Amino acid sequence: MNISTSTISQTVSGAFKMNPFVFHCPTKITFGEHTAATAADLVKDLGCRKALLVTDQVLVKSGVLQSVLSGFKEGEYLLYTDVPPDSDVDCVNSAARAAREAGCDCVVAVGGGSVLDTAKVANICLSLGGDLLEYEGLNNLSEKLRPLIAIPTTAGTGSEVSMVAMVKDHTEGKKLLFGSRFLAPDAAILDPILTVSLPPKLTAATGLDALTHNIESFTAVISNSVFTDSLCLESMRLLFEHLPRATAYGEDLEARAATLIASTMAGLAFTNSGVGIVHALAHATGAKYGTHHGLTNSVFLPHGMHFNLDAVAARYAYLARRLGFSTAAGDDEAAKELIEAVKQLSARVGLPSRLRDLGLPELKDGQLDELAFLASTDPAIMFNPKESSIDDIIAIYERAY
Amino acid sequence: MSMFANTEELHRIMAELWAAIKNDPDMSRKIKESKLIVQFHYRDPNGLITVDCSDGSSFNVYTGDSDLKPIVEMFMKADVAHEFWLGKVSVPLAILTGKMVAKGPVNKALALLPVLKPAFEIYPDIYKKRNGTKVST
Repeated sequence: MNISTSTISQTVSGAFKMNPFVFHCPTKITFGEHTAATAADLVKDLGCRKALLVTDQVLVKSGVLQSVLSGFKEGEYLLYTDVPPDSDVDCVNSAARAAREAGCDCVVAVGGGSVLDTAKVANICLSLGGDLLEYEGLNNLSEKLRPLIAIPTTAGTGSEVSMVAMVKDHTEGKKLLFGSRFLAPDAAILDPILTVSLPPKLTAATGLDALTHNIESFTAVISNSVFTDSLCLESMRLLFEHLPRATAYGEDLEARAATLIASTMAGLAFTNSGVGIVHALAHATGAKYGTHHGLTNSVFLPHGMHFNLDAVAARYAYLARRLGFSTAAGDDEAAKELIEAVKQLSARVGLPSRLRDLGLPELKDGQLDELAFLASTDPAIMFNPKESSIDDIIAIYERAY
Repeated sequence: MSMFANTEELHRIMAELWAAIKNDPDMSRKIKESKLIVQFHYRDPNGLITVDCSDGSSFNVYTGDSDLKPIVEMFMKADVAHEFWLGKVSVPLAILTGKMVAKGPVNKALALLPVLKPAFEIYPDIYKKRNGTKVST
């Protein structure tokens, strides 16, 4: 192992010295088939009596919810099923209001990223009251919220363990970002059976979202903890091995389990170290043109990696060698083999490689400038290992188009 | 021990720094374009600085209590602010470790970071002049 590329540095005296770091991991993680049925027990373990159960109509119709509900008795939960795919402040306020009126003292979220983020933000309203905008920002919550249990039905966002949540304010046309250690769920239940019905394209796109979390957090400007590094590395190994199977054979529970665990590991990593320019571009593009987050990440990922190559070639090379993609002695060559492996994985799971294939129009100069400005001020970009100008961002966009 | 003796000294130094930023044509223009009202809350010692560029053409700085409703608020120890203006603070790290709190639309505050970089060259002299202490940069 090339120790110089890890987070351990050798001092002049020869002793190994760890870089200082902080690693938060407040979420109890339960994994296993049929574990969704234990949600009701977890609610009681957390000292609560009535849960606001947040989900969406798709999951209600698919029957996925039944396994979660099976453990609850009547009167122990209030079902809120009106979360749209692109959730917003109105939905958050409506869910929190319903929870207050029903006397709920905790929240259980069952769904993908939009549902989980909605539940997290609704829990702010339920716990602290007042105007939601008072809590927008980073580290802007000063007290613990009511218990929250997250049960993901996709394998990608990592929201079940992350300390961030985003919801749209459609009236103002902006996204609200909430980031605080108090936002991390108290418990996450990873039941792979709940992900079996996810369609192939969404399986692939959410998997590439998780892969992007890994690669960006592994190379984030201040990542550098052996905890995040080891999470990223093992999560990537699981994704490269199992995502093609989970996409091609949705009922392959082993592959579903592996990708679900990988997604949660990636979530733990990025929530402790940040992401980077790929996420900044995906957030900006998604906000302006409504593209799917995972799909957009998958298109931008090789281009963002190529942009960062000269800053973090050794880190990419470390991943490439550890994952068996390269035996090259030179870091640049090994790093490029990792980028190639990412492209091949994306192609293998059937994802498009160009932004135009996501239905994006060709942008004119003014539109490109606006999008690049949005990306340049996205919080994700401050964790990128290399500084970027507006021209750099436009160049990445144009290459990805 | 804090790098600032008391609130008055903190306010004096920050007011002079912001006056210098206002007098720099490039920084001043870009900050006015942001149309922001940013409020900096400091502790140990306590302090409050409000920068108002809300109309896009004027640039006003207030120390102490203000009736203005800020768009973005930043909270930190006065010593973290001192290190920031010396260019020694990794903002991502400060946020991840909870040393800085950002309230409001964080992207708007982040847009100002590169704009303020030239002030890192100005601050040491202002601090040294007001405080009489040598600053290592």
